[in-house]
Amino acid sequence: MRQIWTIALREVLRVRRRFSGGVSPLFVLLLLGALGVLGFLLRDSVTLGYGLYRVGVMGDAAEIRDARFVVTPVDASNADALLAQRALDLVVDGAQVVTRDDQKSQYALGALKRYLSKQTILELAATQEMTRAFPLRVQVYDLDAPQQAPSEPFIPSLRTPPTPFGQVITAFLYIMPLTFISIFFTSSFMEEKIKRRLTLLLSAPLTPFQIIIGKMLPYLVFAVLMTMGIAWLTGAPLWLAVAIYMPTSLFIFAIYLMVPLFYRTFQDTTFISMFVTTMTAVYLVFPAMFADVSELAYMSPLTLAVKMYRGEPFGVQEYLFPSLPMILVFGVTVTIAARLLHEEFLMTYYGIGRKFADALYWIIDRRKPARSIFLMSFASIPAVYLMQLVILAVASNLPLRALLIAALVASAALEETVKTMGIAVLIERGETHSLRQIVWLAFLSALGFLAGEKLLTLVSVSVVSQAFLATALFSGGLLLVPLAAHFSFTAIIVLLYARFRRVPYWVALGVGVILHTLYNALILGGAL
Amino acid sequence: MRPFWALLKRELASVARERTILIAILIQLFIASFSSALLLGLLSMYDPESVAISGRVDMRVGLVGAQVEALTQILEARGIQITRFENLDAARAAYQQGDVETVIVAPDAAQAVTTLQLYLPHLEVRASAIQVVLQEPLKQYENALRVQNGTPARYMDLKGAPPTTFEFLYSIILPVLLFFPAFVAGNLVADSLAEEFEMNTLETLLTTPLTWGSIVGAKIAAAIILALLQCALWLALLSLNRTELFNLPWLLVMGGLLAAMFGTLAAFVAVTFKNREQAQFVYALALMGLVGASFLAGVSPLTTISRLAIGDVYTGAGNVLMFVGVLLVMLFILALTLRRRDAR
Repeated sequence: MRQIWTIALREVLRVRRRFSGGVSPLFVLLLLGALGVLGFLLRDSVTLGYGLYRVGVMGDAAEIRDARFVVTPVDASNADALLAQRALDLVVDGAQVVTRDDQKSQYALGALKRYLSKQTILELAATQEMTRAFPLRVQVYDLDAPQQAPSEPFIPSLRTPPTPFGQVITAFLYIMPLTFISIFFTSSFMEEKIKRRLTLLLSAPLTPFQIIIGKMLPYLVFAVLMTMGIAWLTGAPLWLAVAIYMPTSLFIFAIYLMVPLFYRTFQDTTFISMFVTTMTAVYLVFPAMFADVSELAYMSPLTLAVKMYRGEPFGVQEYLFPSLPMILVFGVTVTIAARLLHEEFLMTYYGIGRKFADALYWIIDRRKPARSIFLMSFASIPAVYLMQLVILAVASNLPLRALLIAALVASAALEETVKTMGIAVLIERGETHSLRQIVWLAFLSALGFLAGEKLLTLVSVSVVSQAFLATALFSGGLLLVPLAAHFSFTAIIVLLYARFRRVPYWVALGVGVILHTLYNALILGGAL
Repeated sequence: MRPFWALLKRELASVARERTILIAILIQLFIASFSSALLLGLLSMYDPESVAISGRVDMRVGLVGAQVEALTQILEARGIQITRFENLDAARAAYQQGDVETVIVAPDAAQAVTTLQLYLPHLEVRASAIQVVLQEPLKQYENALRVQNGTPARYMDLKGAPPTTFEFLYSIILPVLLFFPAFVAGNLVADSLAEEFEMNTLETLLTTPLTWGSIVGAKIAAAIILALLQCALWLALLSLNRTELFNLPWLLVMGGLLAAMFGTLAAFVAVTFKNREQAQFVYALALMGLVGASFLAGVSPLTTISRLAIGDVYTGAGNVLMFVGVLLVMLFILALTLRRRDAR
C-alpha cells in the first residue's frame, strides 16, 4: 500500500510539472467558464435542422418562432415565383399552406405541421374552455389486472412522447470529463514509456501492479470527485451517481490502460483514443435511448442514470447487468497489463497483429500452459459478453434477415477467436509438444469459456431473458451439448492450424466459424 | 519550395506507413455510419409517423362500444387491425388467447367530453410501445371530436412528410461527416508537432534549410490532403446512398477549409504549448468554443454546409469565401508567431 501511495504522489507531481509553464490553471478555468456560458447561451438556439427551411408568410398567418424556419414576409405578387424558384420552401397564406411537390417542400410542410399544431394546441388551451378545447380523455387500465384502479386520465394532444433524450444527454455529461481524464492518464504512460522512465520504475522494488494502480489512483479520485460535482450540479443523489458511474469509469480506464501498452507514436495514441471514445460513446448512449422500449437498454449504465433522473427505482439485478461485466473487464485488464509491463514487451516494435500475438505469448504462463489457457478463456468472458451485447442490440434494431445472419457469424467469429488465439500462439512459437496436448488445451479452453459464460449469465441474463436471439448467443439449454460443441469447433481450428503448417490461422479460424454459425443457426431453429 | 514538398511527402508517407492509423480511420468511418443508422432507427421509433410510412405497424386492437366509427377509421388508416367485441370480457378473453394486444373501450353515448378506457398489457415495455403507436391516432381522434363540437383549430390537418430523418441527415450527419475529418486533421497536426518537440527532432530539422513556416506548413498541408480524401469518400458514399446533395464541389471545398482552419488552430496551439497533453486539451476546448461561438454569431460553417447541401438559393460562393477570409487571418497570425520563432 505504501508503494502505491508513493507512485500516486509521484504522478500528481508529474502532472503538476507538465502543466507548469505552458497553460496556467487560470487560463484553463477561464476557457472552461467561457464554454459553460456558451453552452448556456446555445441551449435554446441549437435544434435539429437549424435554419433548414425558408418560409414565406402573408395575410393572417400564425407567427412562426422556431430556429428551423427562416421566415420572410411576401405578398401575393411574388409568392408563387419565389416558391417556384426554390427561394422559398412553402408559403403560409392565412390558414392555407402552399407547397411544391418536391421532397424539400414536403419535409418543410411536415415540420411546419408539427410546429403549428403544437402552437394551436397551446392557443386553444389559453383561449377556450377546457372541455371545448380538449374533448377527449384517455384512462389507462391494466389488462392483466383489470380490477386495479386506472391511472389519472390524460389528454392525448397534451401528452409528450416519453423520449429520454434530455436525460440521456444529462447522463452523458458525466462521460465527457471521464474521457478527458483518461486521455491524460494515457499520456502519462506514453511519456514515461518514450522517455524510458518506466525502466527506472520497474527496476525499483515495486510490482507492476503497484505501478499501474498507483498511477491510476489520482485520476480515479479525480473522476469520482468530478462525478460527484456533476451530480451535485444536476441535483442527483451523490452516492447513487457514484455507484452508477464507478463501473463505467473503471471500464474506460481499463481501455485507456491498454492503449499505451500497444502503441508507440503519439498519432497512434490519438487515433486509438478517438476510436475508443466513439465506441464507448456509442455503446453507452444508444441503448439508453431505448430506455422505455427494450429491456436491452439496461446494457448501458446510462439507462440507470436516466432512471435515476426520473426518480424511478431499479433493482440490484438491473444494476449488476451493465456494471458487473465492466468491473470484471477492469480487473482482467489490470491483471493483463501487469503481466505486460516489462521492458521486453514495451520496447519491441511490431505491427499490431504481431504485437497482439506477442502480448498473448507474455500473458500465458509457459510452464503451466494448461492452466493459463483455461484461465484466459474464462477471464475473456466479460469482454466477449459486452461485445455480444453490442451484436445482439444491433441485430434486434435492424430486423433484416441478412443482418441476423451477419450477427450470428460475428458472434461465432468472436467466440472462436477468443478460444483459439492463445493455443494458436503456443503452436506458432513451438511451445506445444503433441497433437494430444493441443486437443487437451482445446478442451480446457472450451471448458473455461463455458464455465465463465454460465457464471455470468446466471447473474445477469435474466434481465434480457425475453430479448430475441439471447438464447442462441448465450447458449441456454443443456450443459453437455454446448460443451461438446464449443470443444469440437475449437479443436478443429487448432488442429487444422497445427497439423497443416501451410494453413494460415485465419483460414483455420474461418472453417471453425462457419461450423459454429451453422450450429448456432440450428439452435435458433425457427427464428431464421 | 522543394524542401517543403519533401517534408509534405515525408508526413504523408509516415501516415501511410502506420497502417494502424488508416485502419483507425476506416473503423471510425464505419462506426460513424453505423451509429447514424442506429440513430435513424431510433428516431423512427420515437417518431410514430415515420413508422407508419415505413409500414412496420403490426398491431391488433380490440374495440368495445357503440360509438367507435370515427376511431375505427383513424386506427385502420394507420394500418392497425381492428376487432370489434360486445363487451370487455370477450375482448379480454381474446387478449388471453393472443388474438389482440390491447383493448379500447369507448362510451356508448356521445358526451361533451369523451373518455376512452385504454387496457394495456402489464409488461411495461410492451405497454409503452403500444402507447407510442397509438399516440398519433388518438390525437387525430381528439381533433375529430373538436371539429364535431365546433371548436375551430387552424393547421391541424396539414399533411407533409415526417421531417425528422431529413433534418437529421442534412443538419447532423452531413456536417458531422465533414467536421470529423477536419477535427482529425487538427489532431494530426498537434500530435505531429508535439512529437517533434518532445523527441527533440525539431532542432535537427531546423539545421536543414527549412524554416519554421515550411515545417508547420507541410504538416498542415498533409493533414488537409488526408481530410479532403476522407470528405470525398463520405460525399461519394452519401451520393451512392441516393442522398440528394447540391453544390458538391463547394461542399468538398468546405471540408478542406474546415481542415485548414482546424489544422492552423492546432498548429498555433501546439507551437505555443509544446507538450501533447496541453496541446490536445486546449485544441479540443478552443475548437468547441469557436464552433459554438460561430453558431451564436449566425455564421456557423456547419449551417453553411447544411444549406449548401440542401440547395438553398441564398447560400453559395459568397459564404464559402467568408471562411477563406477567416482562414487567411488565422494563417497570418500563425505566420507572425512562427516568424518570431525564426528570429530567435
